[in-house]
Amino acid sequence: MTQIYDIAIVGGGIMGCAAALRLSAGGMAPVVLDQGDLGQGASGVNAGTLSLQIKRVELMPYALKGHHEWERMGDAVGFHKTGGYTLAFTAREAELLHERQTLKAEAGAPITFVSPQEVHKAEPNLAQKVVAASYCPEDGYANSSLTGQYYRGQLRDQGIAYRERCPVTAIEQGDGFTLTTPNGPIRARRLLLAAGAWLNPVAALMGVDLPVQARINTVSVTERMPPLISTVIGHATGLLTMKQKPNGTVLVGGGWQGRGTPQEGRGQVSAASVMPNLALAQYALPALAKARVLRSWTGFEANVPDFYPLAGALPGVKDAFVLGCVRGGYTIGPYIGGLMGDFILGREPELPLFDPARNFNEETA
Amino acid sequence: MTEMCDIAVIGAGPAGANAALVASRHGLTVTLLDEQPKPGGQVWRAKSAAILDAPSTPESVAGGQLRQHLQNSAVTHLGDSRVWQIEQSADGWVLHLLRHGQVPSLRARALVIATGAREFVQPVPGWTTPGVLGLAGATALFKQELALPGKRTVVSGTGPLVFFVAAEIRRLGGEVAAVITPNSRGDWLRALPAMARRPDLLMRGARWVADLMLAGVPVHWRHAVSEVEGNNNVKTVRFRKLGADWSPKAEARSVEADSLCLGNGLIPAVETAQLAGLALEHRPALGGWVPKRGADGETAVPGLFLCGDGAGIRGAASAEIDGQLAGLGAAQHLGAETAAERARLRPSYTRAARFGMAMTALSIPRKGLAKLTRDDTIVCRCESLTYGAIAAEIAGGAASTNAVKSGLRAGMGACGGKFCQSTVARMIAQAEGGNEADVPPPTARPPLRPVPVAALAGDFDYSDLPIPKPAPL
Amino acid sequence: MRLTPDQSGLIRRAEKVTFTFDGASVAGHAGESLAVALLRAGHLHLRDAPEDGAPRGAFCCMGLCQECVVRIGGQVVESCRSVVASGLAVTSLKEQQ
Repeated sequence: MTQIYDIAIVGGGIMGCAAALRLSAGGMAPVVLDQGDLGQGASGVNAGTLSLQIKRVELMPYALKGHHEWERMGDAVGFHKTGGYTLAFTAREAELLHERQTLKAEAGAPITFVSPQEVHKAEPNLAQKVVAASYCPEDGYANSSLTGQYYRGQLRDQGIAYRERCPVTAIEQGDGFTLTTPNGPIRARRLLLAAGAWLNPVAALMGVDLPVQARINTVSVTERMPPLISTVIGHATGLLTMKQKPNGTVLVGGGWQGRGTPQEGRGQVSAASVMPNLALAQYALPALAKARVLRSWTGFEANVPDFYPLAGALPGVKDAFVLGCVRGGYTIGPYIGGLMGDFILGREPELPLFDPARNFNEETA
Repeated sequence: MTEMCDIAVIGAGPAGANAALVASRHGLTVTLLDEQPKPGGQVWRAKSAAILDAPSTPESVAGGQLRQHLQNSAVTHLGDSRVWQIEQSADGWVLHLLRHGQVPSLRARALVIATGAREFVQPVPGWTTPGVLGLAGATALFKQELALPGKRTVVSGTGPLVFFVAAEIRRLGGEVAAVITPNSRGDWLRALPAMARRPDLLMRGARWVADLMLAGVPVHWRHAVSEVEGNNNVKTVRFRKLGADWSPKAEARSVEADSLCLGNGLIPAVETAQLAGLALEHRPALGGWVPKRGADGETAVPGLFLCGDGAGIRGAASAEIDGQLAGLGAAQHLGAETAAERARLRPSYTRAARFGMAMTALSIPRKGLAKLTRDDTIVCRCESLTYGAIAAEIAGGAASTNAVKSGLRAGMGACGGKFCQSTVARMIAQAEGGNEADVPPPTARPPLRPVPVAALAGDFDYSDLPIPKPAPL
Repeated sequence: MRLTPDQSGLIRRAEKVTFTFDGASVAGHAGESLAVALLRAGHLHLRDAPEDGAPRGAFCCMGLCQECVVRIGGQVVESCRSVVASGLAVTSLKEQQ
């Protein structure tokens, strides 16, 4: 006889897995399904930056909680709290920096403004062109490549079922849900869609149109280099993130756009954006000029028109839920996944969720 | 700066160069790209500027003729050019190059990929010791520099290449300490009918083996190198008898040498085709994973053609004709009438491919050879990852090459997985029940070769950086 | 009797020039592959592997494996794809030179 799970979770990224762990701890039997490997979507290919300086003001309480989650996961996810500097190279950028970081500090992030001299004392290899900077001691990074390995281990340890390379091609709702997959049907009493940039086609299987779009963020990594920087480096516009891993490789991101759509299966690196991305990195850290880039890649970051999360009941479908589109989703994912689990378990979440049935054209929070 | 041409060909070996030549004859503008300074590919690699005069070989003659044909043609050859990224555009393709420290791009209406092969080496303890060279790698030394791998060399590997390398070492004045090959004499006897089609090559091979016999060089049939000893350089090479499936048997014997050439057949270099958007299929008889293609180099992507060993290991003779077919296919795509010409070429392609595939069959390692890799043997050279570490990752649930790569960095190093992924995929297949066709290589990522940041950044003014507007607050 | 004749005496090479490898003087033929000149001079150990620090040297000889990389003018380059020139200053990527 086919097993009937308490909940089927479509999407084995950070949010789906974190929700599964909370649900399991709460007594439910979940099954996690992923079209590829666990944690290989945005969860596994982002730059791994954990910086409060690039989080949205309204999401700051969630980001602060998220940082604690990553700190707790620690070495298993390559967590390092290094502190981070955000740099401005022009007067206009300094203005932007001041305006944005002031609001983020007011929202609870321990961000302070520091002089260019202080920056150079801490990071002597940075360009002598910094005109203004902010610092946050909470900032750091984790290794997103380890997401899949980490959550696979967690699910196995907790005895939670998961299926990799198992795309869901149809969902029927009758007495519970029946999900069609190449490995046979899977039955569950509840459904959580946590498919990231693929939320739109997955929700469409239930006849729900979620206005999910995807940004195509580019990340590049160099070969091993001698020690150059010890903190996470950002840019006033948010268009650069840079950190050097303990193995010496330098990871460069910042949300420069590649090409492609989730429906086509993969994104492509656009030379026209990876080149200025690396130029900006080299401008900030001149020694990078001698480094060779070994790999560039893209990841799909899902969003809805108001750039706030989808986290709550799937509109119009009983016992179905949706979680995704969290700006800063890597940082916040483990935390909001837990909140989602609480919500499904019928508990009051510690912080409010984000109703997927809202009007996306209005300012919400 | 962006140049424009009708057809861009990546790889100037026998396949790519011939594709370029035939397409050019149909009046199309063709740019032939290769990372070597001169055309010829690995098989017909040109001599370096340091060689002023040297006796000719069949390879140097064939390569010389090809280079002459190209010189007399309208083909634009861009040497020292590494393609690091391929993008599709509305009117064709944009190739991003690394050339002399700059990153120029090239636009083309059609693209022919002829990236050839690289070597598979079954990892054995000590294979990372300086002085251990790839078997195909050693041929690059011979052809380009007429140089030897060492003073006294063990030559070990599968197929005809092992005898070519041994003969070249002797021709260039070196000493072959031993030839060690997993193939048996019986394997070769069984390949004779296919080889009879190329009596010239058969004779040449027979001469190599006879010379080794006369010189008293031990040839250990159905044996394989099992360990290399020596810390900073090769001192002793240990080898073992193999069973029918090439599983190591019996106690190891050893031979003293200062160098070892080691290879176990070729595998198609498919990353370029992957980046261009082609799906792969598992074809063990062609060397493993190959991009899917149809007749005359055509692929599922309009305007994208594929030929030579990069489409499956069939050897140089086959690649020459395969290249012509793909070049004509690309010319047809751009409006030339080439159907009759292609029809004339196909039978000779089929014959040449049959011979090449017989050689490939001799070169492909059998399952048991994998047992030479021990728990503490380095598999991923770039990241110093052992077989044991990778096996543990797989036992922990990593069931794809992408998952092993993410979790452990196997394939994230400087070579981009070129020398570990075949082994990793076989380990996964074995752990999951044995089907290699279920374990494709990892997703290909640009750049196809390492590119200095300075080259990508170029000369720029900060104010000219096209910085998009910041994310919402 | 040799069926494969020794032709080493028939090869004419470009003049020898000197360059340095980790400060030591090395002779090579102008225009030849740097990896080959280093190999001939007995400099097989070009870098240390990450993690275990084991010695590594030229392996694939065709610009793929990245085992033969050295530093010239601060830039990491594949020695098998670099060319010997008089006065070239080459440094290894060994942890301790």
